[in-house]
Amino acid sequence: MNRGKREYQHPLLIRLTHWINFIALAIMITSGLRIYNASPLWNFSIPGILTLGGWLAGARMWHFFGMWLFAVNGAVWVLYNVLSRHGRHTTLFRVQDASGLKPMIQYYCRIRREHPPTGKYNPLQKLAYSSIPLAGLGSVLTGMSLYWPVQFGPLASLFGGYDTARIWHFLFTAGLVFFFAGHMLMVIIAGWSNFVSIITGWKSAEH
Amino acid sequence: MADDAGNGKRGEGAAGSGLTRRSVLKLSPLLLLAGCDMTPEGRTESFLRSFQKFNDWFQSKVFDRSRLSTEYSAAELTPEEGFRVNSKDDDVPDVDPAAWTLAVEGLVERPGTYALATIASLPKRVMNTRHCCVEGWSIIPRWGGTPLGEFLRMVGADPGAKYVSVECADDYTTSYDMPSALHRQTLLCYEAYDKPLTLPHGAPVRIVIPTKLGYKSAKWVRKLTVTNENTGGYWEDQGYDWFAGI
Repeated sequence: MNRGKREYQHPLLIRLTHWINFIALAIMITSGLRIYNASPLWNFSIPGILTLGGWLAGARMWHFFGMWLFAVNGAVWVLYNVLSRHGRHTTLFRVQDASGLKPMIQYYCRIRREHPPTGKYNPLQKLAYSSIPLAGLGSVLTGMSLYWPVQFGPLASLFGGYDTARIWHFLFTAGLVFFFAGHMLMVIIAGWSNFVSIITGWKSAEH
Repeated sequence: MADDAGNGKRGEGAAGSGLTRRSVLKLSPLLLLAGCDMTPEGRTESFLRSFQKFNDWFQSKVFDRSRLSTEYSAAELTPEEGFRVNSKDDDVPDVDPAAWTLAVEGLVERPGTYALATIASLPKRVMNTRHCCVEGWSIIPRWGGTPLGEFLRMVGADPGAKYVSVECADDYTTSYDMPSALHRQTLLCYEAYDKPLTLPHGAPVRIVIPTKLGYKSAKWVRKLTVTNENTGGYWEDQGYDWFAGI
């Protein structure tokens, strides 16, 4: 391994918020699935093993603890990104990135042989990393419409009313889970030293 | 009695879906596979319960007494066939609407028992408001009754008191913060869909409080106590949030 090629990838605050977000989302999704089971929207229930809280009241206790963790942590992350301009040139998807989407898809579908030239993150990654905070925001806003349909009535009507907001709440969650699956795949493909970098901040060059 | 928190440990999820209690029971070996049911216990539970108290406090700060729950048009009402019954027990208590009276105790100038006719002689409010069950479903029934605040003024309740506790004929209990009890849409409800309440829906008088989750809308009310002590409630003592504002 060449120590001289170590590269600083992730600032401390990004690593910290990343892992707090991981814990918060684990709490929110598993307890949320238990709440879902109390009155399923669709014709299926979630196996108990994937849920947290044991019963509806226990799941609600977890969910309304986890919501603070998720929202406050998310706000800190956004604030940090805005103030430090972190990610502005690496992960933020811009209009000019749109033309790079097609070659990347072709590459992933093995239609194209060579990896198109990109920056630190390719346009598809940028799109994913830039849209996922929007899904997080959507989860928070639809969640508030369900938690406070009276106090924040106009917010619920923004999502088509109380019952429709519930469907949106699940769709945003599904988006987060879908991202997580893709994220895991990419982490496995990128290898160990990349994974270490989200813990220590440093990525060592592959040997 | 109270609507809605009925799902807990007894056949959760059975309501409103194609699932019967039996099919839920068939899945129970899955819970054994999990080794435990993940119900918060010990330190986790006491931590989560204190956090829940923080949320109750936060909710009481967010609560705006002048903000009304949306009142819907007749066209948006849930049809009467869809007016769901949900209670802590499956059977209704033995209540004789004709002989019923409401007992009032605690920090009031005129404690005693009050007949339905006395309650109905006070100003009436009819409203189509959404009833949100803690389970996730909701309905929009047409309610009619006397604002609880009007009744509390009539009996001379101390407006500085902190809580109003409710006891019901099926031994259900719950309690409210005074600002929520005095909210204009909090009703001593004796009508639904312009007809006297039916027994399964809490006849002769129930609470309807559209600014809170359904389990706060207690049915078959028989006693109100104005007090400075938070007496909790049937579901609240088991782990559901006390303020339950929405």
